[in-house]
Amino acid sequence: MRRLFLIGIGTLIIGTVVGMGSTSAQAADEYEYDQVHSSVSFKARHLDISWIHGRFNDVSGKFSLDREQPSKSTFELTINVDSVDTANEARDEHLRQPDYFDTKQFPTIEFKSTRTKAIEGGYKVTGDFTMHGTTKTITIVLKGGKEHDFKKAKRVAFSTELTLKRSDFGFDESAIGPIGDESLIMIDCEGVRR
Amino acid sequence: MLEPSLYLEAMASAAIISAACVLAINALRRPASTTWLNLASIPGIGLGLVTGYHMLAWRWTLPPVNGLDRFLMIVVPATLVIELIAGFPAVPRWLAWLLRMSLASMMPRILLHGSVHLSGNNGTPWQAVAVMVIAALLLVILWSLLAHLSQRSRGVPIVLALYLATQCAGLTIMMAGYIKGGAAACPLAAILVAAALWTWLAGSGRFATAPSISPAVLGIGIVGLFGLLLIGIFFGRISIVSGLVMLLAPLLCWITQISWLRHRQAWVVGSIGLLLVALPLLIVLLKAKHDFDRDMAPLLGKGKASVLQH
Repeated sequence: MRRLFLIGIGTLIIGTVVGMGSTSAQAADEYEYDQVHSSVSFKARHLDISWIHGRFNDVSGKFSLDREQPSKSTFELTINVDSVDTANEARDEHLRQPDYFDTKQFPTIEFKSTRTKAIEGGYKVTGDFTMHGTTKTITIVLKGGKEHDFKKAKRVAFSTELTLKRSDFGFDESAIGPIGDESLIMIDCEGVRR
Repeated sequence: MLEPSLYLEAMASAAIISAACVLAINALRRPASTTWLNLASIPGIGLGLVTGYHMLAWRWTLPPVNGLDRFLMIVVPATLVIELIAGFPAVPRWLAWLLRMSLASMMPRILLHGSVHLSGNNGTPWQAVAVMVIAALLLVILWSLLAHLSQRSRGVPIVLALYLATQCAGLTIMMAGYIKGGAAACPLAAILVAAALWTWLAGSGRFATAPSISPAVLGIGIVGLFGLLLIGIFFGRISIVSGLVMLLAPLLCWITQISWLRHRQAWVVGSIGLLLVALPLLIVLLKAKHDFDRDMAPLLGKGKASVLQH
């Protein structure tokens, strides 16, 4: 009788733990980066008097959002650098060359989160940012996270801005003359649940 | 940014240091021999290149991350080491050529390492292999033919032909928008001018008595030209046709070997050879200038529309 009772209690505990685990796994929603309703744009100083604006047209990514345990949320973004677009084809072609992005050697810019923390109005995400063959750990603040059901697909959106120094990522310093070292990158990302 | 005065300073420093070093070492042993001159040219080339890139304030990154870094930090030193080994009389000719061919076959793989050309993003793996094999074969053919020519004809013109092609490659790469890639040609071209000078001086200032071009100079000249062009084509924006014309132009010196020309005075033969080499290079340069004026000049503030500036 006692043995039966112990087996029953054990089964209950294991069942609860397994059940909790599956609940937790279900709590994390997987989202695909929606290229149509998202954008990665940037601006950089020109001659220290004005700004050049541009964007990357080919971006992909995914994120997993766990509302109950935000630290389990993950974010990934991959930018195809060849898709740089500053509204001037000659300048874009020059930016693809080794003096700048060197897209034949370093075709992508990537971000992969390693730590996520929920904050007021969004998430503070730390991760590895790889550009021009150099990886650095950066922290970004993702604002937003509101959900919207549109045509039976759940959507979530985030926005962030970050400032990067090109010299920190091995860009040739002699090419940093007319275009400033610092670039402001603006990411507006809408995800569609898989 | 384009800095013509800096490039000229780098070239002058590289040429002066290189020539001074070779002539100083050569003076240590009298009478000088071709073998000694060849061995002396290796530290001369190395020191000249280091000086030239130092003047350009070259930023070296370890490990080398791009094609140009791999070229300057792996391929060029490897060429000098191979030519140093090959320069000793005890080393058999077949071994020297085996080393050179090994370098030639590995060079495209080294320069394209880690790029989209080998990752399969830019075609199939077989296409990548085919590109590397064809590139290596071209280098082997060019090296063999110029080495054979250098043994048939005396000294200076072949070095100057390689100089013209290297300088043209640098300018073309630069005008196509890869400024640092073009600047990398300056010290290499300067070394070839210096080599022409020391070869001429070794012949007591006469073309007719100048020794055969040093295999080390020939090696660094050919590898330098090939490396720059491969980088210019695969990482920069120069066309394959322009690249091939510049690579193969020095072979036009072979035309001076036809019987009615080769027995004329050495300076006449040399001048005709250089003229033949210069003509296709001039056409490539004019084409590059035309493309530069159309595409790049507005970005550098030289066009009429300031809105197009970088």
